[in-house]
Amino acid sequence: MKTGRHRLMPAKNNTLVGENIYGIIKDNAVMMDKNKLRTADIFSGGLIFFIGTYIVSQALQMPMKDSWGGVQNVWYVSPAIFPLFIGAMIMLLGGLLVRTAVKEVGIIAVKKVGTYLVSSDFLEFLKQANNIRFYAIVTALLSFVFIWVSRTDFFLAAILFLIVSISMFHLDDSRLLVKLFFVYLAGILTFILFLVSGLNAFLSDHTAYPGDWLTLVFILLFAGYALGVCRGNSPLMKKLRTSFIVAFLSPILIGMIFKYLLLVPMPFEGMVVELMDFIWYY
Amino acid sequence: MIVLFERIGSFFEIVFSLASDPLTLAILFGSVVLGIIFGAMPGLTSTLGVALLTALTYSMDTPIAMVCLLAIYVGGTYGGSYASILINIPGTAAAAATAMDGYPLACRGEGGRAIGLTTTASAIGTAVSMLFVVSISPIISTFALQFTSFEFFLLAFFGILISGTLTSPDLVIKGWIAGFLGLFLACIGRDQLQFFPRFTYGIPELESGIEVVPVLIGAFGIPQIIGVLKDKFQIKKTQRLQRIIPEIGTVLKNIPAIVRSALIGVGIGAVPGIGEDIAGWVSYGTAKNTSKHPETFGKGELQGVIASETANNACVGGAMIPLLNLGIPGSPPAAMLLGALMLHGVTPGPMITFEHPTFILEVAAILLLASAAMWIAGMVLAKQVVKVLKIPTQIFMPVIGMLCIIGSYSLGLNIFNLYLMLPVGIICYFLTEMGYPIAPLVIGVILGPMADENIRRALMVSQGSFMPVFTRPVSFILFLIIVWTIASQLPWYKRKMARIKHVLTAKK
Repeated sequence: MKTGRHRLMPAKNNTLVGENIYGIIKDNAVMMDKNKLRTADIFSGGLIFFIGTYIVSQALQMPMKDSWGGVQNVWYVSPAIFPLFIGAMIMLLGGLLVRTAVKEVGIIAVKKVGTYLVSSDFLEFLKQANNIRFYAIVTALLSFVFIWVSRTDFFLAAILFLIVSISMFHLDDSRLLVKLFFVYLAGILTFILFLVSGLNAFLSDHTAYPGDWLTLVFILLFAGYALGVCRGNSPLMKKLRTSFIVAFLSPILIGMIFKYLLLVPMPFEGMVVELMDFIWYY
Repeated sequence: MIVLFERIGSFFEIVFSLASDPLTLAILFGSVVLGIIFGAMPGLTSTLGVALLTALTYSMDTPIAMVCLLAIYVGGTYGGSYASILINIPGTAAAAATAMDGYPLACRGEGGRAIGLTTTASAIGTAVSMLFVVSISPIISTFALQFTSFEFFLLAFFGILISGTLTSPDLVIKGWIAGFLGLFLACIGRDQLQFFPRFTYGIPELESGIEVVPVLIGAFGIPQIIGVLKDKFQIKKTQRLQRIIPEIGTVLKNIPAIVRSALIGVGIGAVPGIGEDIAGWVSYGTAKNTSKHPETFGKGELQGVIASETANNACVGGAMIPLLNLGIPGSPPAAMLLGALMLHGVTPGPMITFEHPTFILEVAAILLLASAAMWIAGMVLAKQVVKVLKIPTQIFMPVIGMLCIIGSYSLGLNIFNLYLMLPVGIICYFLTEMGYPIAPLVIGVILGPMADENIRRALMVSQGSFMPVFTRPVSFILFLIIVWTIASQLPWYKRKMARIKHVLTAKK
């Protein structure tokens, strides 16, 4: 059952066809090709075996027959019993996965991976366009959650996240993506320095929402830079305009639904929320 | 008999009360249309739709929230067919089989006809599955009341194993590993019997265990966002859409195929953790194998489209049967629904008929109304809805990312939910890249507390003896099924079965 655009999972190991986790079917398979997959299985199986061992070792430290909270334990009501079972199963299955993979591709595959990791091919792989897109989206998500959301006004944080991620991907130009990604990395670095240097705490004593102001400046700088690199190219400018409109309107619309209709306080309420509260409750 | 008539009477009473409330109807239609849009857009799934709406419906009353969630589930499962038929890219995995014949039909200028028929078939499929929810639920519920802790533990264990076996795109062992990793995540926090902290590392937010819904949003949403943006997914030019209203004659001619596909969908939906995608493929395969002209499949055969679409929508009702009666989700979106129900203080399981006597009937009534709303919306709005296929994925995926983040946060007003959701999502992305299915992991997270509590309670009652597993009939049957599920994956079993098959065919 295979067509031009459809790659169904082989029925060798399963009697039924498998799932496509993205909900879409792509020309290049969702997973790696089989040989690479088996080689990766040696490592993932090893890691899973290690996780299983760790769970068992932690579970062994839980009360088995000792007293806990004034209750004398017996083994079958111990809080360790279930983690022990799970840990042992994970160890067993991880070990079996390694064994299956080694049987298929041989232990030589591990050596090949070692050689590959120190070769220039690996560096080339890391620089592949789809990997750069991966770094870009993961960085945007991680920075949004771990840096901006809890420290700056939600609306500003969301606009920054969207303006960066939509521009990087919607422009559909690898060269521009790299440029915009580096500008964004510079922004992240600046914000981290702003936090760890104590400047944020110092400025907070003298002015309201210094983090929000810095984020706003960064949004404007990023937008200005993106406009600069796209100038003269009307299709790109059109895409950029769309990106800006979506990046600005979506957080306002979604944020207002959560904040004023569902009465969910934002993770961090700063200058924009204060302004919106003023307008909404005026 | 009187009880049955009373039940049917209550069912129609609920249907009329829901249908006569304009607000409920507006929410129903709005959610169905939203679901269709979600399903139609490649990269978005009904699971993600249910996940995001869980956050939005958190503050609503339970009945209204259920209308929203079930309607988006039904609409999302059906909406996947639009992209399958018109651009040959399934909007959801559930509609993958539809593309096999749907796209050739659209290329022949019959896209509108195909959509009209799939809309009707999907509506019939949902309605048939609703009949099963109403009729089978009381039987399963009564049966499940006889279950003791051993049965519940074995049932949870079986759910994880079967989900791992059937959803694994690569080695079955990976599905099982995913299931056990889910069980491990469920262990985090204070245990329910002695309140001993397990794997909490002194982090106060972990003391009460991990929040299920943010983990589910992370596991289903984040890998999709990363995958679509990383792989530079482009939408092709959409085929034109003509007349949508299906011919009555064609529908009537295909009634046997629709009923058969609906039964397949209900059956597969009722198996824990197996989603609409598998129902679609199994039904498509059955239609092809039983057809007098199997050679026409893959070249624009209407029966192929009808088979997969009826089954994937019938799977919705099928998935509700174990969810409502046993507390075991029948599919990934049903797992999301379970999380949403728990947030609203409804705990599905055998006691649901006592704690919320009309709840199952309400669900069935919503399914019936949602199937009608889906048909009307499909017929009226199809030409407008397909316009969403023109929106580039690069624009809406980051917006979905933001929705996942604010949605996870709003479910407990806890930033820690985000710190949990995103790493889980990124790990799930790597797992999917390496051929580990996500559904068993999610089922493991949900069924973990049930398995943990019940095995310890069972052993407490039996004073540490496992003998009740063999002396209680239901336990013993479940045990045998588990052993068979595991044994059927072993090489010697496969060799033996192949030899038996060879001997049998040689005799013929």
